[in-house]
Amino acid sequence: MKGHRNPSPITHHPSRIPYFPGCALKDQARGFERAARAAMERLGYELAELPRWNCCGTVYSLSSDDLMRHVAPVRNFIRVQEMGERKLVTLCAMCYNTLRRSADFVSADPERLRRINAFMDEEPDYAGGVEVLHLLQILRDEITFEEVEAKVERPLYGLKVAPYYGCMLLRPREVGIDDPDAPEVMELLVEYLGAEAVDSPHKVECCGAYQTVANPGIARERVQEIVGAAARRGADVIITSCPLCTYNLEHHQLGEEKPHHPSLITHHPIPVLYFTQLLAYALGVPEGELGFEDAAIDPRPALSQRVGG
Amino acid sequence: MVERKMNPSPITHHPLRIPAGEPDFVRKVEELSGEDVFACYQCGKCSAGCPFTSGMDLLPAEVIRLLQLGDERVLSSRSPWVCASCLACEVRCPKGVDIAKVMEALRLLVLRKGETGLTWEEIPPGVPQIALVGATRKLTP
Repeated sequence: MKGHRNPSPITHHPSRIPYFPGCALKDQARGFERAARAAMERLGYELAELPRWNCCGTVYSLSSDDLMRHVAPVRNFIRVQEMGERKLVTLCAMCYNTLRRSADFVSADPERLRRINAFMDEEPDYAGGVEVLHLLQILRDEITFEEVEAKVERPLYGLKVAPYYGCMLLRPREVGIDDPDAPEVMELLVEYLGAEAVDSPHKVECCGAYQTVANPGIARERVQEIVGAAARRGADVIITSCPLCTYNLEHHQLGEEKPHHPSLITHHPIPVLYFTQLLAYALGVPEGELGFEDAAIDPRPALSQRVGG
Repeated sequence: MVERKMNPSPITHHPLRIPAGEPDFVRKVEELSGEDVFACYQCGKCSAGCPFTSGMDLLPAEVIRLLQLGDERVLSSRSPWVCASCLACEVRCPKGVDIAKVMEALRLLVLRKGETGLTWEEIPPGVPQIALVGATRKLTP
């Protein structure tokens, strides 16, 4: 069944998009956000941060009876509603997934939403209808990559970029921003920026996610497979859209322990960038504004060697 | 009400179902997950694509099979605690069984008794809060 319509019909300022940052973008992944803001500004858009946003819940509850886990996302949707807007854009893939699935969950059954609204009696009711988007969708579908290409000031000729999608941008299929088994949105972006996209068979496979806390050995094994595959194909850098993927891909590359198979040994660690950092870099945003200094594996040598700084 | 998108057979009318002999925990798993474990025909695509099988004692398809058989050994399996809800199985199941939801239900049977699947000795330094929140939400009561 169709969800409720938000009473406010469409966005008031088409180039000003309500934006949900999430915790990591204010901490470990500051460069992800800074670069996104700078890039969007160059493209004529503004990311308008939600006032009083709260944690999205990080992981979507997979149980059928856990309404409580949807309260946090819905509270954020009320903030969007108060702005008089309908769209909500995220950068973090985990936030995207959790918010988007919750939006779908409450709009699929009015009774769920009624109970959540009744529980949050200190808030105005959420009327439904907020559309959760990932920035890659805005770039691809609204701004278009052709438009992005026209604004490139520092083409990334010669740079080999391996996009890593992980899980939350693609699965489940209903919320995926691209084909869950053969996505291409990041490859297209990379190529419009002038770089060469390096395809890898492990680009949609999980990095270990939060198991990095409970079973770090398994996460390490995952990362060695993923990075090993990108390295064998000559990638200079890997790009992601998720702070947890980035943490795992960096952290487990730098560990002391050797891979379980010789083919997985990489000769030097491969830098991991957020796609917004690569985008902003290509759009000519000064390097000092991109948060490269926070990366565990410095991407600057690879970038300056290939692109010529 | 449980949403059922792909599987056309409602839980209670599945021909393979033997209601009288069905143990309570299987019913609970189905209720919590909203999934019909009897829809699985053991093709093994979930196990073939699961990136976490190296840490599992039962493959995802075996977890489902033991549930179909009402075999209690599934309750003490390590596999649901190694599953990272990455949904690789979910997008590939030809029968529309969301195996990640079944894994979550198996965890919840334990967690809702107040037991934990995660004990902290020390929090590794530098771990982002999304890892900590994710792990505690999935693996602790």
